[in-house]
Amino acid sequence: MKQQRWSLRNIILIALIAIFCGLIFWGAGFLYTALTVALTPLGMAPYANDILMGLWCMAGPLTGYIIRIPGSAFLGEFLGSAVEVFLGGQWGASAFISGLVQGIGSELGFTLTGYKHYDWLGLSASILSTTIITFAWDWFRSGYNQYGALMLIGLFVTRLISTFVFAGLLTRLITNLLDRSQVLNR
Amino acid sequence: MNAGLKLLLTIWIAIEISFVTNLTVNLVVIGVSLIILLFTKIKWQSLFKLFFWPLFPAAGLLVSQLFYGNGGPLFAWILFTRIYAYVLVGAIFTETTDLTTLALTLEQNFHLPAKFAYGVLAAFNLLPKIVEQVKTIKTAGLMRGVVLHFWSPQLYFKAILASISWSENLAEAMTSHGFVEGQRRSHRYPTRLNYLDWGLFIAVIIAFQLLIWVATNSQSLF
Repeated sequence: MKQQRWSLRNIILIALIAIFCGLIFWGAGFLYTALTVALTPLGMAPYANDILMGLWCMAGPLTGYIIRIPGSAFLGEFLGSAVEVFLGGQWGASAFISGLVQGIGSELGFTLTGYKHYDWLGLSASILSTTIITFAWDWFRSGYNQYGALMLIGLFVTRLISTFVFAGLLTRLITNLLDRSQVLNR
Repeated sequence: MNAGLKLLLTIWIAIEISFVTNLTVNLVVIGVSLIILLFTKIKWQSLFKLFFWPLFPAAGLLVSQLFYGNGGPLFAWILFTRIYAYVLVGAIFTETTDLTTLALTLEQNFHLPAKFAYGVLAAFNLLPKIVEQVKTIKTAGLMRGVVLHFWSPQLYFKAILASISWSENLAEAMTSHGFVEGQRRSHRYPTRLNYLDWGLFIAVIIAFQLLIWVATNSQSLF
C-alpha cells in the first residue's frame, strides 16, 4: 500500500473487506434474533440492538485504518450494509440508511483527527462519533425520543461499550496482527 | 424504472417514513408495496420470510414502547409498522434490481467513476467465493483445534489477507482485459435514463407527499 489513493485495487480491497465483514455480521444475525426474543418480554429489546451495534460498525474503522484515504471508512461501512440488503436482512431498505449513518459516524472520527491519527486517538474519535450519530438516528427511527432518561442513559452506555469493544478493541487487535505481519508495507 | 432512480426513491421513502410518525402512511406504504411485490411474481416462500423475520425487531420495539415509552400505544404501533414498511419497500428494490444493472447505470447515467462501478461490482461478484472462504478459514482453524468466532481477530485477519491478494489479482485481471482508470469507455450494454423514468420518479414522490399531507391532516378520522 505505497500509494494511498483511489486506485482500482484499493476500491476492490475496500469492497472485499466490507463484504467479508457484512457476511460475518449477517452470520451473527441469529444472535440478534435470539437476544431480541429473550429481551422482548422484558420490554428491553432495544438493548439487543445496542449490545450488537459495535459489530455492525466494524467495517468502517477497519477499512478506514487499512486504506488511509478520506472517505474509505464511509465507503467500507456503507458497502458492508449493502451486503445485508442483498442477502436479505431483517431491516430491509433501512439498512441502506443505517449504512449511510454508520458510515458518516465512522468517517467523522478520522476527519476530526485530520486523517493523521491512525492510533487510539483516531479510533477513539471514530468510536465516539459513531456512537453519537447512530444514537441520534435511532432517536428518530426507533422512537428513542419517547423513552425516559434512565432507559436512554442505559442504551447510550450499552452502545458506547459495544462500539468500544467491537469497533475499537477488536479492530485494534486485527490491525495489530496486520501491522506485525507487515502485509500492508507501510 | 431505472435502477439508480429506484435506489434513490427507496432511500428517499425510507428516510421520510423515519421522520413522519403516522400509522396511516406506514400502512399505505406496506399495502402498496405488497401489491407491487405480488406483481413481480415473488415466491411465496420469500414473501413469508419478509413477514416472519422482521417480526422479532418489530415486536421488540412495540413491547418496549408499551412498557417504557411515553408515546402511547399508537406510537408503539407506528414503530412496529415502520419496520415492515422499510422491509417491503426494500424488497421491491432487491426483487426487481440486479447489481450489474445498478452498477452500469450508476456509471453511465449518474457519473460515478468507472473504477468505483466496476471495482465494487467485481468484488460483489466474488460473493460466493467469499462465503466459501469464510468457511475455509473456519475449517482450517478447526484443524488446528482453534474455533474461530465472529469476535476472533484471526478470522478477520485471514479474511483481510485473502482480500488483499484477491484485490491485487482482480485489479490486474481487469487491467489486462483493457480496463484503464479514468479513460473514456464505450458501452456494450447501454443503460437508459429517459423522461419516462424521471416522470415516474417525480410522480411517486409527489403522490407520497400528498399521502403524508392527507394522512397528517386527517388525524381525527383515525
